[in-house]
Formats: sequence, structure tokens, C-alpha cells
Amino acid sequence: MNELTEEGFGREVASGEDGLVRGSEAAIAVRPTRFRSAGEVEDLETVFELDDISVSYAGVPAVKNVSLDVFRNEVTALIGPSGCGKSTLIRCLNRMNDLVPTAEVTGRLLYRGEDLYGPRVDPVQVRKLIGMVFQKPNPFPKSIYDNVAFGPRILRMKGDLDEIVENALRSAALWDEAKDRLDGNAFGMSGGQQQRLCIARCIAVEPDVILMDEPCSALDPISTARIEDLMMELKRDFSIVIVTHNMQQAARVSDRTALLMVELDATEQNRWGRIVEHDSTERIFTNPSDPRTEDYVSGKVG
Amino acid sequence: MAERATRLHYQDELADLEGRALGGLDLVTETLTRTLEAIESSDVALAALVVADDDRIDGRYLEVHQSILTLLATQQPVATDLRLISALLHVMKSIERMGDQCVNIAKVIPLTGNEAPRDAEMIRDIVTMGRQAGSLVMQAKVGFAERDVELCRDLVRRDDVIDDLNRRCFARAIEIGDEFDAREWGITMMLVARALERIGDNAVDIGEQTAFVVTGLFREFEDASRPGPIG
Repeated sequence: MNELTEEGFGREVASGEDGLVRGSEAAIAVRPTRFRSAGEVEDLETVFELDDISVSYAGVPAVKNVSLDVFRNEVTALIGPSGCGKSTLIRCLNRMNDLVPTAEVTGRLLYRGEDLYGPRVDPVQVRKLIGMVFQKPNPFPKSIYDNVAFGPRILRMKGDLDEIVENALRSAALWDEAKDRLDGNAFGMSGGQQQRLCIARCIAVEPDVILMDEPCSALDPISTARIEDLMMELKRDFSIVIVTHNMQQAARVSDRTALLMVELDATEQNRWGRIVEHDSTERIFTNPSDPRTEDYVSGKVG
Repeated sequence: MAERATRLHYQDELADLEGRALGGLDLVTETLTRTLEAIESSDVALAALVVADDDRIDGRYLEVHQSILTLLATQQPVATDLRLISALLHVMKSIERMGDQCVNIAKVIPLTGNEAPRDAEMIRDIVTMGRQAGSLVMQAKVGFAERDVELCRDLVRRDDVIDDLNRRCFARAIEIGDEFDAREWGITMMLVARALERIGDNAVDIGEQTAFVVTGLFREFEDASRPGPIG
């Protein structure tokens, strides 16, 4: 069964001896990959394999020739200057670009070994497995409870809904603040709480991957710190890809970092993003290989 | 794409910080020159001045250390800048220790008394060691400032000369005679030679930090734990 088709979230779902499926742990077939960084070789499980991915809008290139792997239970950060295609790239990972009629994605993008853009793949299933949290908190105009319960209801998920909501709010470190006001309007929450609510809403449908597109850019430093702490907790259960303008945030929370920079054609009329370097975050921020990375992360060019 | 240079003020701050840190090496060579003069002429007053003047080196250490903390807190340096900051912390520690070695020497000069040196040859070796050490300190400064790893590696070769002289001083101290005063003088001078030998080692340490800034890898130029003569 294909995990991305409408027939179900196959992921070679395997039951334990007691017959219970234990989320992604039980469901995901382990496919180790060798990844080299700073001379070290690690056994890692690949979630995404991007091979020569290019994205264009109405024929105008936005991102060119991106090849990188994203690994399980890691935070991968995409950094780079404005207009380098970070958001375009992250939106490829759950086919959000499908919603833009002129968008075209070429190259090969495998999610757990399956072509994410294959003809039988259902984008709705893709977005269930690969959730997204946006720059600005976008709760629905509903109660806190209904915000979190929305996805499980739509997807007719099995299990006790109250329990699903509580677990999602706990995972998003919001339960203690929200448990006595579950019927209250989500708009009554602070910005940081609303963003954690959006994360809870994402978690409630049991995704495999969480994509975060500048999740803290609208938040104050305390709320940002809470989201960053939360990411460190969440990566135990999920794989996370984050786009951030804040290089120190990338340095704090991510395991690997990819830097995209803007390139111009000879006429300087067309510009697109391309990956300059992708390595362990430690290496990117202490001893990068490419001088462009050195200049960008140390703020010498912008 | 034409990239715009940014954080110019930060870059100026970093360059100024490095300048002040490396300026500490000038203070060390100045102090070392006075220390050698005090040894050669058994000048107790000059030795006292060396001890008192160590506050200048300690002050430079504290000043640069505070500036580094401020820069870390306010500018979050990364990559080469971060390695430079880390190296400067080590360099300042080496400078402070070299200043302390001069103080150690200056403090024992009064113990040798105002009489003529017991062994002119040993004094000659010690002064040669001191001058070599001063020259190494300057070479380390140039090597660091110019990020010249080869010049820094050459410090090891030159430090070996100091190590040989140190061993010779050790041998002379043993052979100096049975008389109590002569033995006391010999042992005191052995301590002086040891302090100068450590200054040479500190200069090599600065060379290793230079290599770290340039390559991103910290490797001792020479493995101090390898079998070999003491010194």
C-alpha cells in the first residue's frame, strides 16, 4: 500500500504484538542513510530526499537545482537572505505549491522513498503527514478545543477526541494554560499561545513531519524561547524543517542547516535561490566550507 | 549578485579587540627585556619595577576579557569570528602567564644577592634564552596578525633552541659545586631558566591558536606527551 495515496497512510503500518499501532515509531520502515559531515559518518533515517529540485512560477525560476536530504528526528533549518527561495522550498515538501496554479516543481522529491509528486499521491494525505506551521499564528475563529479537534474530526480519526486534544495540547506545552479555558475563543490567547495552538493543531492529526515557516517571527523573545524549547521536545517524535531569518535561532535549534543564496542571471533581471552549503549546524556556524556561508552567517554580507 | 558589506561597526570592534590583545605581547616583550637586564646586572630595584608593572599586563588581560564578553553577548560572533574570539581568549591567557613568569623571575633576583654571578656561562645561557623567548613572542604576534601558519609552525623549531639551553642550565646547576651558596644560586637560576622556557612554550601556544583561527582545527604543533628529554 502506498503511504501517500488515498487508501491510507500506509507507511507499511505494522502492528505490535499486542495489535496496537504506535504512531510513527511502529509505522515507518527504517531506511538508514549514510551522511557525511566533518569527516564523521552517521547512520540516519532519511525522511526527504531532494534531488535536483527546481521551482518556477509562471516560468520564472524561484529555486534551482536543490539537492539535500532531511533526516528523521532532526531539526533541519533553511536559512538565507530574503528572496532566496526558503519558503518556496519548504512549501514543496508538503505540496503547498500545488495551490499556486503557475507553480512548477521539477526534479525528484522522495518522501520516505516515495515520489511525493507521483500521480497517485493525494495532496490531502501529504499535508496530514507533513504538517505546517506558518509565520503568523492562524487559529480558526473557534474555541481552543475546536481548533485542535478540527483536523481529527475532518479526518475521522479513531480514538477519544478529548484525549487527542489533551495530548496535542500537552505536546505543544499548552495544556496547563489552556485546560481551564478550552471553550474560550482562540483569539483570546496571546500571540505565543496562538502559535503553540497552531502547533497543537498540527500535532493532533499525528503527522510525521512538521514544517515551520518562520514560526517565531511575529513573537516576542519569551514566546520565541518557548517555541524553541518546544521544538527540542517535538523532534523526539517528529522530524522538523524550519525556515528562519534568525541565524541564531537556526544555530540554537537545528541539527543541520542549509544555506540558500540568491543568484542572478547575466542580465541581472532574473534571480533565484540555490543551496550554497548544507552541513551539520555546528560546522556551518563554526567552520563552514564555503566562503559565502562564512560571510552570510557572520553577517558580513546581507 | 552584488552583496552589500554589513556590520562594519562590529568588524571595527573585532579588529580593535585583536589589536589590543596582540598589543599585550608588546607589553610582555618590554617586561621581559627589563627582566633580563635585572638578571644580568643583579638589579633588585629594576626587578621590583617588573613586579609592580605586571599590573599593566593583568589590566590588559581584564580589559580584553571584558570586551570579549561584551562582544559575545551583543554580536554573537560565528565561524571565523568565533574562532578568533576563542583564540584571543587563549592568547590573553598566555600573555597573562608570560607576565607572571617575568614576575616569578623578578621575585627571585633579590635572592641571588648583589654579588657577581657565580657562573657567567649560565647567566649567558639564561640571557640568550630570554632574548630568544622575546623574539619568539614577537614572531607569534606577527604570525597571528598575518594569519601565517607556517611562520607559527617555525616557532617550534626556534623553541627547541630554548629547550636545549634550558637543559644545559639544568646540567650547569648540578655541576656548580658543593658550596651551599653556589648550590642555592644554581637552583635559583634553574628556576629562572624554567620560567623563560615556559615563555617560549606560551609563544608556541599562540602559534597553535593562529592555526586554529585559520584552519578551524586545533592541533598541537608538537605532542608534549611524546617520549623525550624533560624541558
